[in-house]
Amino acid sequence: MTDLIRAEWTKLFTTRVWLGLLLGACVMVIGFAVLLTAFAGNPESGIPAVGTPLYEELAMANAVNVNVLFLIVGIIGMTQEYRHRTATPTFLTTPRRGNVVIAKLLAYAVAAALFALVVLVVNYAAVAVHAGARGAAPALDADNLGTLGSAGLALVIYAIIGVGLGALLRNQVGAIVGGLVYLFVIEPIIRSIPATSGAYKWMPGGALEALTATFEGPDLLEAWQGGLLLLGYGLLAALLGTFLAVRRDIA
Amino acid sequence: MPGVTGTGAVNGGRHARAGSRIVTPVRLDGRDTRHQTRRSAIATPHAPATGPVRVEVRGLTKSFGSVRAVSDLGFTVEPGTVTGFLGPNGAGKTTTLRMLLGLVRPDAGTATFDGTPYTSLREPVRTVGAVLETAFHPARSGRNHLRVYCRAAGLPVERADAVLAQVGLADAGRRRAGGYSLGMRQRLGLATALLGDPSVLVLDEPANGLDPEGIQWLRGFIRHLAHEQGRTVLVSSHLLSEVEQTVDRVVIVGAGRLVREASMAQLRSGAEGGGTVLVRSPQVARLAESLRADGMPVTLDGDDSLTVAGRTTAEVGARAFAAGVELHELRSRTSGLEEIYFQLTAGQEQYAAGATSPEGSR
Repeated sequence: MTDLIRAEWTKLFTTRVWLGLLLGACVMVIGFAVLLTAFAGNPESGIPAVGTPLYEELAMANAVNVNVLFLIVGIIGMTQEYRHRTATPTFLTTPRRGNVVIAKLLAYAVAAALFALVVLVVNYAAVAVHAGARGAAPALDADNLGTLGSAGLALVIYAIIGVGLGALLRNQVGAIVGGLVYLFVIEPIIRSIPATSGAYKWMPGGALEALTATFEGPDLLEAWQGGLLLLGYGLLAALLGTFLAVRRDIA
Repeated sequence: MPGVTGTGAVNGGRHARAGSRIVTPVRLDGRDTRHQTRRSAIATPHAPATGPVRVEVRGLTKSFGSVRAVSDLGFTVEPGTVTGFLGPNGAGKTTTLRMLLGLVRPDAGTATFDGTPYTSLREPVRTVGAVLETAFHPARSGRNHLRVYCRAAGLPVERADAVLAQVGLADAGRRRAGGYSLGMRQRLGLATALLGDPSVLVLDEPANGLDPEGIQWLRGFIRHLAHEQGRTVLVSSHLLSEVEQTVDRVVIVGAGRLVREASMAQLRSGAEGGGTVLVRSPQVARLAESLRADGMPVTLDGDDSLTVAGRTTAEVGARAFAAGVELHELRSRTSGLEEIYFQLTAGQEQYAAGATSPEGSR
């Protein structure tokens, strides 16, 4: 298994896709941090003022806004095997295909943890500089560190969901478009329509909000429940993906 | 019957090769290295790390929807030989190879390497190497592509450089594989297959897209791997002429069924196919008399030549020698290999047109 995980890291780091996505995530997180801080305390925006605990929670959880890029890291990691037809040599080298998917899940969990750490550091730095300029840089106290940790965990889980989703759909473009549509269209609609908003707390987005931070949000689970639920979605995608990868013909 | 005659042909081939090995110093070297490398974990590029492996396919069947791609197919690939896996496009060759390698699940039947299915092999990469299609990430260098599979198979990454040199890609190893020419891509695929120094090589249409020089190189390389290193090679093609100079035996399929399993010598002589033998002799009348006495169907073609139907050159030659007749020419007039191959597979066409789509082999 160690060999297979190292093989996945070799695959990941011998193309530049990871670098592009990580830089993109850093740029995005800086942008969100600046916007959040710029509009903090603005009565029209509804964002709490710099220095308040609620602002700090939102600022520390800001990194989860790049969850889509972590989802894409996972999706590309899995679907590139089908897109570039390397599934053939990969499964020839490791005929026990379940092991390949498990190795990918573990390899991407670790890689995503490293990427998440970078994003969290960048996020904190951006917030500290901007909020510091506006009066009060958030301290790295237990509360804020906890929120940062939850945000990082959520990013890792999204990468795992991405790997599972990729194994499920196999089509790279389809999986990415599907992921984007789900995150930015379907979930927001379900969240905003009163008739369906009750179900939102059970969905990945609801779980993510529960795990990290929210304001003016709908009814949500407890943070730890949200974390568990999100992890459950990750594992479900991984299990389904593994099951299908083992059964399907590679043609 | 194919089994019996096949074994004979293989033994004949082995004797011939054993003989040449003794007189050729290069091949003696090869044998010495084999003894050394057996002990080390990773062999040099001179002999497979594991012993000879026989490939057996029995009753293999696979349908895609209503299309039956492969139907009760069975054949054997002997160690140390190059076996051509031939058939027209859509005959089910690729599907068969994918089932052999555990990538496609057969509806029925088995495919084994010394009795073990691919997916149960303890070290699949060291037993079997396969080139099914040129598959690599275009942004990854050839060397890194190979390193990925070294890692996955638990092989030292240095193997990547070794196989790159073996296929003549050493200088291009650090370039993006996406920029490789078609011939270089085929070589990279071959390099991937050779990583584990396998006893068996399975190559699906390896000559596709190669220029004449590349095909020449490939032929030599395949022969070297089988005859001098004792590997088992199964190479598919839709053209007999493409592999006719390379293979020792052929397995011909049409519409997913076995059409013929034979050695090239058997195919050439046309012994079972009822070919004709052409003889030229100044004593043609005496020869005809002698042959007819043996019950051979003789047709006189002119003053100095005759043809014998359904016999081999060996039989006719022996008869002429016994009768003390001078011969000026004795040759098998079996209309060329490609024609035999065409006849064999053409017999399946009616069935093929009805039951197999043109894309059936995928």
